[in-house]
Amino acid sequence: MGSSKNVKPSGRLWYPSADVYQTPDGWLVKVELAGVSAEDTEIEIQGNVLYIAGTRRDKMCKAVGVSYHQMEITYSRFEKTLQFPASIEGASIEHNFDNGLLIIRLWKGEKAKP
Amino acid sequence: MAEENTQNQTQKTTATPQRFEIAVLPLQNTTLFPETVVPLAVGRERSVKAVESALATEEKLICCITTRTENVNGQDAKPSDIYEVGTIGNIKRMMRAEDVLQLIVQGIDRVRVLEWTQERPYLKAKVEILPHPAISDNEEVEALKRNIQGMIQEALALLPQVPPEVRMAVMNQNNPVQLAYFLGSVLDLGAENEQKMLEAGTVDELLTLMHASLARELEIMQIRSKIATEAQTEMDKSQRDYVLRQQLKAIQKELGEDDGERAEAAQLRERLETADLPEEVRKEADRELRRMEQLPQAAPDYHVIRTYLEYILELPWKKSSEEKLDLNEARRILDEDHYGLEDIKDRILESLAVVKLRPDSKSPIILFVGPPGVGKTSLGRSIARALGREFDRISLGGVRDEAELRGHRRTYVGARPGRIIQTLRRVKVNNPVLMLDEIDKLGNDYRGDPAAALLEILDPAQNNSFRDHYLDLPFDLSKVFFIATANQLAPIPAPLRDRMEIISLAGYSDAEKLNIAKQYLIPRQIKENGLSDEQLEITDDAINLLTARYTREAGVRQLERTVGNLARKVALRVAQGTATEKVTITAGDIKGFLGAPRFYPEEARNDLPAGVATGMAWTEMGGEVLFIEATMLPGGGGLTLTGQLGEVMKESAMAARSYLWSHAQEFGIDPNAIKENGIHLHVPAGAIPKDGPSAGVTMASAMASLYTGRKVRSDTAMTGEITLSGLVFPVGGIKEKVLAAHRAGIRRIILPQKNEADIEEIPEDVRRELQIFPAVRINDVLDAALQDAPTEPEGKNYVIQDVERRSERTGETFIAKEK
Repeated sequence: MGSSKNVKPSGRLWYPSADVYQTPDGWLVKVELAGVSAEDTEIEIQGNVLYIAGTRRDKMCKAVGVSYHQMEITYSRFEKTLQFPASIEGASIEHNFDNGLLIIRLWKGEKAKP
Repeated sequence: MAEENTQNQTQKTTATPQRFEIAVLPLQNTTLFPETVVPLAVGRERSVKAVESALATEEKLICCITTRTENVNGQDAKPSDIYEVGTIGNIKRMMRAEDVLQLIVQGIDRVRVLEWTQERPYLKAKVEILPHPAISDNEEVEALKRNIQGMIQEALALLPQVPPEVRMAVMNQNNPVQLAYFLGSVLDLGAENEQKMLEAGTVDELLTLMHASLARELEIMQIRSKIATEAQTEMDKSQRDYVLRQQLKAIQKELGEDDGERAEAAQLRERLETADLPEEVRKEADRELRRMEQLPQAAPDYHVIRTYLEYILELPWKKSSEEKLDLNEARRILDEDHYGLEDIKDRILESLAVVKLRPDSKSPIILFVGPPGVGKTSLGRSIARALGREFDRISLGGVRDEAELRGHRRTYVGARPGRIIQTLRRVKVNNPVLMLDEIDKLGNDYRGDPAAALLEILDPAQNNSFRDHYLDLPFDLSKVFFIATANQLAPIPAPLRDRMEIISLAGYSDAEKLNIAKQYLIPRQIKENGLSDEQLEITDDAINLLTARYTREAGVRQLERTVGNLARKVALRVAQGTATEKVTITAGDIKGFLGAPRFYPEEARNDLPAGVATGMAWTEMGGEVLFIEATMLPGGGGLTLTGQLGEVMKESAMAARSYLWSHAQEFGIDPNAIKENGIHLHVPAGAIPKDGPSAGVTMASAMASLYTGRKVRSDTAMTGEITLSGLVFPVGGIKEKVLAAHRAGIRRIILPQKNEADIEEIPEDVRRELQIFPAVRINDVLDAALQDAPTEPEGKNYVIQDVERRSERTGETFIAKEK
């Protein structure tokens, strides 16, 4: 089943939970994305929408002699769309993974510009 | 990873078709639609392997394709058994329960199989992703969508258990494709329909399919809901009844009327245990009581059973009254109650003697036949008194329903036992003297023939296990002493007559009536009207006047009423104080008390003209004399008969004429007189129907008198049937007829010789005054009846208007029938 790696199904499969904080200089977004590697994550901004997508891949199943007894974590493609009260186009973005959470910082455009 | 992606969302999710190889999970009887989540249970070894291989990939994808329904069997499905279009899905959850994998799979995209690449250890195929169904006609899609939503609304109204979230989700789903897929997964539309929906390439097609399926589902739901509602209504009613009944019970308990039904049943049980019942009856009663104990008091059957059990308990199954039969005492009682009737008393005593000698023998069944008022019923009462048994009577007059005697089956509302069983319950012993009154007045119609029921009741061989329909238990009637009474024998069916010992009571002569009046009627009426012997006396000639001029009957009922009438009038005077001394009523006083005589004696007409003869008839009231008038119709022809004559009587008139015609020479008649002249025969009174052969000799005499011109002797009366060869045959009712003729003043009687034995029955005092001529042939009759020489010119007709006789009969109709 190695070829399944290339599959790009169209449907969205799961929606991670997210918290959004307003900070004096912008926004802080916290997304629950444990087990997702940075390279499998895409982040996009369109107008006042922040779009996060990607795929959670299960790497452990590849080990020889390992098989599932129980599975509750959802793998495969996820999406998250967050709307903001104002446009965030042009804001500067910074993100990092911290203890299974994806932390995204958005600075308002004016600050980011300089 | 701040990727500047200008692609919009739609573009992003609609990936270009790709081809890839993937593990296939064949589904049975279910379909995975994109965007929907289904739970699956996987147990088949090959399928488990497919799932495990899918779980071993990073994205947990598997392709679910439905198996063609017609190919579902116990075998692993071959690629050819599987549809070509399916859905790839992501396995979201997996649990192992023993050998079965419980999965939750979310559908993603529709795929088409291009090529099967592997069958073992699990199915694998090369597939391509199919595009989303496209919209070809926007308006149609919108219309279908709205229709579907309308139907869903209706459906949800019928499904109150659907949670509100689901309602909201369905109603707010604006994407028609997602709506259709969601409904396809939720509703059980059948694998084939679901597969068609999955394969639908356009939204129009998909929605049309959905619409059709949904319409069908909705209809089914509506029908089911209707059935459920009806069932619910039924349930509600019986539940309501139950609750109310429980409340009633509680109320009764509070009022201290606790457990009325159980107390009643217990009481019945106690009575049943102490009652002396035959084994079979006890068993049946026990069974019914057990049934009753299980029924609520309000059940209709409860009361039916209770009445039934009470009936059983009250019946004298084994209780007999003690027999104290002393024949001398019996004779004394019979004599005390009845005057005369010596023969009858003898026969009754004979029957009683048998009962005495063989107490276990079947009781005899006696039938008293006779005119009204001769004492049939009171004889029965005397027999009961002589035997020391209970007495009761059942009047059968007008009974025409078999159920009157034998009861109704208990299944009918208001069912009751028959009269026999009711009477036995009343007398409380099983050996009463039971009088079946007026047995000749039984009727019958479509409801059955009561006479047939009597056949069983009166048959000593059968009536020891008489089954009343109501009781449905055998009751022993063999100890009952049955006495039946009738005015006539003829209407009683022969088989019934055959079962009974027939005792005929003829009417009383005037002398007998005098004695009966003196010994029984007058003392009784004096007592009943509050008088004493010292206050009223009626002389013999007064009594004779009463019997002759104020009453006309074979019995003494009217006489007793008339005596009672006299007694009341005397009682009035005594009470008013106007009569201080003893009142003696003589013949001369009668008119003052009762007015003018109501009857004139049927006096023989003095000097009958030629063509008129005196006959005698028998009626239910006793006997009568009647006159037969014949007259010549010069130049006419044939025989005219009037006076309400029956067939038999008409025929005997024809026979009389034919005989005279054929023997004309012998009687000195000119045959041409018969041939050339018609004859009219009339029998007054014209309004009273008459029938029977016994007027044969009288008619012959009248005609012979007419043809010969010789008068019939006016002091002579006659009876007898004639034959065409001139023989005189015997007839019935001789005693009544002769008594009537005697009353009318006739002293010469012509009877068939074969009736000579009946002369014995005629009371001595009457017989002494009579001259009786037995006749063998018509010639004997004519010899005795006709005067010697013609006294009137031949052919002259005399018709007497019998005014007197008519007036006597006013308002009275009876059939003068041959006995």
